[in-house]
Amino acid sequence: MKRVTLLLSVLAAGVVWTSCSDNNDNVPAIDKTENTVILTDFSAQVAVPIYTNLAAKAASLYSDVQALNTSKSATDLAKAQTDWKGARELYEQSEAHLFGPVATDEVDPRIDTWPVNFTDLDQQLASGNTFTAEYIDGLDDALKGFHPIEYLLFGKNGQKLASDFTSRELEYLVALATNLRDLTADCAAKWTVDGNYSAEVSTAGNGSTVYTTQLAAFEEIVKAMADICDEVGNGKLKEPYDAQNAALEESPFSGNSIIDFTNNIKGVRNVYTGKYATDGHGLDDLVKQHNLSLDAEVTQKIDAAITALGNITVPFGQAISTQKVQVENAMSAINDLQATLEDKLLPFVQAHSN
Amino acid sequence: MKEKTIIQIAALVAFAIVVYSCIEPDERMETPADEWLAGGSQTVFEKGVSAFSSQFPDLLNNRGRVHQIGDGGFGATFVSAPAPVNPGLGPIFNNVSCVSCHVNDGRGKPPLSGEQNTSLLIRLSVPGTGAHGGPNPVPGFGGQLQQRSIFGVTPEASFRVQYTEFFVTTNDGTQYSMQRPTYIIENPYIPLPADLMTSPRVAPPVFGLGLIEAIDDADILSRVDENDLDHDGISGRANHVWDELKQQTVPGRFGWKANNPNLLQQSAAAYNEDMGITNFIFQKESSYGQSQGIVDVKYDVTDSLLQSVSFYIRTLAVPARRNANDAQVMQGKAMFLQAGCASCHVPKQKTKTNVAFPEISGQTIYPYTDLLIHDMGDDLADHRPDFEASGSEWRTAPLWGIGLTRVVNGHNNFLHDGRARSLMEAILWHGGEAQQARDNVRAMSKDNRDALIKFLESL
Repeated sequence: MKRVTLLLSVLAAGVVWTSCSDNNDNVPAIDKTENTVILTDFSAQVAVPIYTNLAAKAASLYSDVQALNTSKSATDLAKAQTDWKGARELYEQSEAHLFGPVATDEVDPRIDTWPVNFTDLDQQLASGNTFTAEYIDGLDDALKGFHPIEYLLFGKNGQKLASDFTSRELEYLVALATNLRDLTADCAAKWTVDGNYSAEVSTAGNGSTVYTTQLAAFEEIVKAMADICDEVGNGKLKEPYDAQNAALEESPFSGNSIIDFTNNIKGVRNVYTGKYATDGHGLDDLVKQHNLSLDAEVTQKIDAAITALGNITVPFGQAISTQKVQVENAMSAINDLQATLEDKLLPFVQAHSN
Repeated sequence: MKEKTIIQIAALVAFAIVVYSCIEPDERMETPADEWLAGGSQTVFEKGVSAFSSQFPDLLNNRGRVHQIGDGGFGATFVSAPAPVNPGLGPIFNNVSCVSCHVNDGRGKPPLSGEQNTSLLIRLSVPGTGAHGGPNPVPGFGGQLQQRSIFGVTPEASFRVQYTEFFVTTNDGTQYSMQRPTYIIENPYIPLPADLMTSPRVAPPVFGLGLIEAIDDADILSRVDENDLDHDGISGRANHVWDELKQQTVPGRFGWKANNPNLLQQSAAAYNEDMGITNFIFQKESSYGQSQGIVDVKYDVTDSLLQSVSFYIRTLAVPARRNANDAQVMQGKAMFLQAGCASCHVPKQKTKTNVAFPEISGQTIYPYTDLLIHDMGDDLADHRPDFEASGSEWRTAPLWGIGLTRVVNGHNNFLHDGRARSLMEAILWHGGEAQQARDNVRAMSKDNRDALIKFLESL
């Protein structure tokens, strides 16, 4: 008994020695300089360009509806519809990094609330209210932002003609576009001149008042990527599908839902590669240095999710009943991507930052 | 025998070294080990914008699905009836969804100048008590001011906040700017009574509440010291409030004055009062009996969705502490204990055994509250009694997660109406039973005060 315990303790000491030295070999050296570059490029090459372009697109949408208000022409309506989709593309991509001012200053609910309050909207149009910027600002979220604009621009069945517009609709539309323009401009400014959230991210662990460590900023970024997959896979696709209720579909009037979902996943790719227009230093550059198979897996799963969404060929409201297989495949591809992000990419960045 | 013991101890020590050294080299696990895990086994290592939004880490699949459904309900925007999705808003309300006040499941704030108010509401009453010992509702207004309405209905009134700046100086001469709020109620749809009493309150964070609900009443009541028999200057009391389902008076523990008994009733009341959404617990519109009231014959939210939303809140995990073993944080903790803060902000609580709900059963948690109501002095008083809580009594607010407010909600506004713009301001507002602790903080050196704040930020 004595000998056994003695032997065990000697053995144990040996295990301590070997296990700890093994551990030390496996712990990667953390490259703070590299991490700073990645965080800086996340802001400079992804978040800021997207929010700035979004603000610019919303400003052209505003000009379009101004023009439409005067001309009531089909050309101006088509322009406004195209710019709405353009702004939508940027906003949906930005949802892959839904943190910072857009989340904490409650910009998201004010510009992207679903459903639309049709009952009140109809009554607003029928009323004599003056739609000043201040009045619109004080309205409930379900009466302003992307979806009421979409409803007015595309009509309930997506068949709106320039000649269908009443003057009250145009008046309301101009006011809503003004509001969207101002809120998106505000959001872009918060990342740059007014608040400089870019610096909060890039100086993480080095003076940032929001992120006390680089690890905290990396976790924020990867979790946001996983969160949008959760939102699309388990919310936007699953809720209408499970309920078999097309009324729950997001962006139904423009028939844009699948494009919205695809842009959400493209947003994940933007963040992963550090690239919106210009290819910056992304998470992929860090992953490739240490784990090529993880990089291949993340890239493949992003592509697979985008492909699976592309296989849905009819508007989403129809697809939930006529293309069930494709919808289920898309949900499962997005769930797979989420699992890779949460179970592999997150631990990877946790091991490579502090 | 002796030698054998020594060898056995040596073996044990060696084993202990093996066990501890082979755990991933993770600072979270260092002493005091369980303090890192603020929510016991339902702790998550989140420190970003979603730090308050994670479900319990070990919820089984089917229960996880209920949590998800509740999450959907918590985020659902209500609109005016008739509508294909989420009808029933109002006719008068404070906001359109749970999440629009409890942004990111976190803490609300008062409106800054020129900002729309989103997450501050005003409770109302007149002297006397209501049906079950609660606040006496104001004729034509009820117990809460609804400052918004659906189209065609006039809001009960609007309000704005004005602040007057003043300064508090610590013993070492450091000056802190403070702001005293005044609430101005304007444009009431009918005249307000002269003896109106008001109580402004911001939306509190909603994570970890299932664990708080699981603390035994007996544990909470064991700290009651109404006549301060232990002469420590602290006389915690329990509030006793009306339980709508049991139809009896029970100890309260939720809300800024511990004026709600449980999460189901809290959620149902918020649906009803804040959004005008009727449900099986509160079946009449908040405007019922008012000149603009409508009679709604069916519930706007189903029983199952109400239960799911309540389950969602019950199963939101607690974020782990950060830097708990940092030297400055440890120094700050010593200051926290020395100053007497922990007399009310009791660090550790235990949840009772509950075989039907294993996730919250038998957990050691660190909410930093005794869940009792205390006299907080004239400066914080709202002069509006709420069940047994007097106009100057408030429930000890939990401190867990408080250091993550900036990243989750983008602000550092604290206390029941968000008047404090930093943790230090919040401390300096403490009066009444907390006066001594506050004075102890004022007497600290700057180094110790800074450490105290670092400690709070690590929670």
